[in-house]
Amino acid sequence: MTQKLEPSGAVMDYPRRDAGDKVRGRTKYTVDQAGSDTLHAVLVRSDVAAGRIAALQVDAALAMPGVRAIATGEDAPDRHGLGIADHPIFASTDIRYHGEPILAIAADTLDQAKAAAAKVVLRIDPVEPVLTMAEALQAGARLIHPDWKDYEILFSGAARGGNIAWTATVERGDTDAAFARDDVTIVEGCYRVGRQNHVSFEPRAVVASFEDGRYHIVTSTQAPWTVKNVTAMALGISPSQVRVTVPPVGGGFGLKFDCSLEPYAAILARKTGQKVSLINSREEEMLTCLSRENAEIRLRSAVTPEGEIAAREGTVLMDCGAYGGEQVFLTTMTAHTLGGNYRLGATKIASHAVYTNTAPNGAFRACNGVYNTFALERHTDEICAAIGMDPMEFRKRNVVGDGSLGATGQVFQGDVLKPMLERMERLIGADPQPEIDPDRYLYGQATTVGTWFIFVGPSAASVILNADGSATLVTSGVEIGSGTMMQSLPQMVAAELGIHPDKVIVKTADTDASGRDLGVGGGRTTVSIGAASTAACAEVRQKLLSVASEMLQTPVSKLVLGNGRIEIAGRAGSGMTIQTVIAEAEVRHGPISGSGAFTAPGTPSMPGCAAGHFIDAIDIPVFAVHNCDIAIEKATGRISVLNYRVVQDVGRAINPRAIKSQVQGGVVQGLGYALHEEMTINGDGCIDQSGFETYKIPGVGDAIPITLEMFEGAPSIGPLGTKGAGEVPILNVGATIACAVANATGKQVNELPLVPPRVLDIIENETSGLDLVHIHSDWRRNV
Amino acid sequence: MTIRLTINGQIRTYDGDPRDSLLDALRRTYRLTGAKDVCREGFCGACTVHIDGQAVPSCLRPMGLLEGADVTTIEGISSPEGFSPVQAAFVEHDVVQCGMCFPGMVMSMTDFLKRNPSPSRAEVKTAMAGNLCRCTGYEKIVDAVMSVQADERANR
Repeated sequence: MTQKLEPSGAVMDYPRRDAGDKVRGRTKYTVDQAGSDTLHAVLVRSDVAAGRIAALQVDAALAMPGVRAIATGEDAPDRHGLGIADHPIFASTDIRYHGEPILAIAADTLDQAKAAAAKVVLRIDPVEPVLTMAEALQAGARLIHPDWKDYEILFSGAARGGNIAWTATVERGDTDAAFARDDVTIVEGCYRVGRQNHVSFEPRAVVASFEDGRYHIVTSTQAPWTVKNVTAMALGISPSQVRVTVPPVGGGFGLKFDCSLEPYAAILARKTGQKVSLINSREEEMLTCLSRENAEIRLRSAVTPEGEIAAREGTVLMDCGAYGGEQVFLTTMTAHTLGGNYRLGATKIASHAVYTNTAPNGAFRACNGVYNTFALERHTDEICAAIGMDPMEFRKRNVVGDGSLGATGQVFQGDVLKPMLERMERLIGADPQPEIDPDRYLYGQATTVGTWFIFVGPSAASVILNADGSATLVTSGVEIGSGTMMQSLPQMVAAELGIHPDKVIVKTADTDASGRDLGVGGGRTTVSIGAASTAACAEVRQKLLSVASEMLQTPVSKLVLGNGRIEIAGRAGSGMTIQTVIAEAEVRHGPISGSGAFTAPGTPSMPGCAAGHFIDAIDIPVFAVHNCDIAIEKATGRISVLNYRVVQDVGRAINPRAIKSQVQGGVVQGLGYALHEEMTINGDGCIDQSGFETYKIPGVGDAIPITLEMFEGAPSIGPLGTKGAGEVPILNVGATIACAVANATGKQVNELPLVPPRVLDIIENETSGLDLVHIHSDWRRNV
Repeated sequence: MTIRLTINGQIRTYDGDPRDSLLDALRRTYRLTGAKDVCREGFCGACTVHIDGQAVPSCLRPMGLLEGADVTTIEGISSPEGFSPVQAAFVEHDVVQCGMCFPGMVMSMTDFLKRNPSPSRAEVKTAMAGNLCRCTGYEKIVDAVMSVQADERANR
């Protein structure tokens, strides 16, 4: 055996190698790829939310100057989806949302494609759209998918029916008995959040070509293998006929974790024999974004005077829009984001993905977690008020620790959240109390906890050792901006091989060159691709060291790999450079390479607890503790964030500077969600916010420096003890701001975002809170 | 009508529709894709270029108004091998994430520091109000801009 790698060898503030070209404007994102040899495509979309196509004629459009091809539903008859195949590429009979694609046009120029789109004859007989989850769940509501029973099931085991696309439930213990105890206080609350648009600066974009009988898709995606498989499914071909490569991605945040524009461009490329570029306009991105879903939540808890949570029941409605999409999968998350923070007695949780005639939603950084954390932490503070316990004390008593059961009965390892709360108390104590003018402002503060988890799942890696002593890492990883492909991965490979990270070439995703991968998201890149990469390095090391062992006449166990050399332990200057050993290895065996793989190890849950879940128990929990001080201007309801503090469980910080950047960016994105990113849907089923003027993302004036303390050493199966750090910073922000507003006003806060008119309403009016009557107080009536 | 203008020191002609935006002409006709097409409304600043020495969003400038104009884009702000001081600071402070906003950030902050070489942090934040970023949370970008003036003060 060779010596085990010490994490410290990989830890450094290694700078990213793509910064130089990015600040020079040289980086070619997918949107920059299309030159004069490329056709340009547009989608013709529905301008009603629900209806039937009565007439569709494309002859006049096809005859327009420069038009090369038009694709319609006839070109892609199959449905795709996650869990259920409910989603056609083109609407060909039924229209289910405003903005649904009906056909695609490729022309020599974008202007010609747009001019042709205006000549399409399209008549839709509209029907009354079902726009809210409350309407969709009413008895006798029109079914958005009347043929739901006929859809192909891709993942079995979930209850579904009518306008409910998917249901995931957790039942552990007897909640009725706990609620009937005479020593408990029963606390109940309802919570509601709107959608959040990712506003990734690079819109969804693709350039497709059809070469030697195969599709080549160059696309802005986080999940090249999903694009490959879904495109094949939609086109009715084998996935091996689709190659996906990915240039640098100009922001993802979850938006690009699903296939979206790729099949349209692929069909047009086949029909024209030319490269076809399709790029969403900003308006299309705003109106058809796979947003973080709007959600409605009811929580009910039985709590003893000592603060023990004897029982909890929760129901979460998640608006999936017109098609199930990611929300089908994300129903799984509620068990862990709502049920993985506090020790619970009996537990019943239901998560429904609900169809509406609105644009489909999708995945967004810490998906599902941000609003469940908001609801849970507001509920927790309401419990504290009801039983008269200090919120910090309640949290320290109740957060999950070593041996605690999660909602589905999994056993958590290690005390993490409680020591993190204690660190936060010290951070708060280190700062002076903010000084504000009490005549003009209300002061509020809050501390919240959050639980997220790393998506594990399959990843593959190959490492090729080159003759000059450099190494090439080949994976399906994508650089979406977080820097993982530029920093933690080369750092880990370099540490494993005893070379400098500059000597590690990182190949960007090409599904013809690398094995299957779940995608870049969920905080999984460092963990899953990192684990596959370090496994590949182990094979490379073994081959390299066995040759060196023969050359140096020294057992492998006495060899040390470092600084580009292989030396005999304890004898500095002995041995030789890696290049010398590689040259000898080539003579003896040929070039050195290694491959590695990783997937979910599988953590047990309690049998029979969870139904309809894609993940019954979480392999790598990640915890976060947030705190803020705010001032609310009484006259306007405007909130100023005075201090924002984060204690984040990072496992092991491989690149501390990069983690700080992720936390700063993630928290500010969360402040947008908490304070001013508001999406509304009008009576026509169209999203009102069509651009930057109406949808306000945080500007520099909305940002403050975030105080971060990294909590290291929590158990993790990740390589070198790592956990992903980029996903989780947004998790508690809505919760923390909302709890601080409740603290400042002494009122209930049940909705996000906390735009000034909503805050003024909270200040000025007596409210009994929110009651969502379509979610029953009797949990059983919700399932 | 043919429009004549200077782009990155070279005389260029434009025969397209005078209503076309400078942004579209740069990206489509001259294939200078460093200016990013993000909002097309003048809110995000990702398409910022210098016209006659002043930073402006190129999406809001029709080509017809640019006869004789001197345009510098991100591709022309530094030598091919080197970095401008602002670019160098952004690289040095490792502030880049997805990178889409950075060409515009460089152009805006370069113009700003030319006009105000020793700004306060608040002045930097005010000058950055027209450049949005979805990834970074801004503060490290502000740190980097502050370091440019600190370095230049140290050199004086």
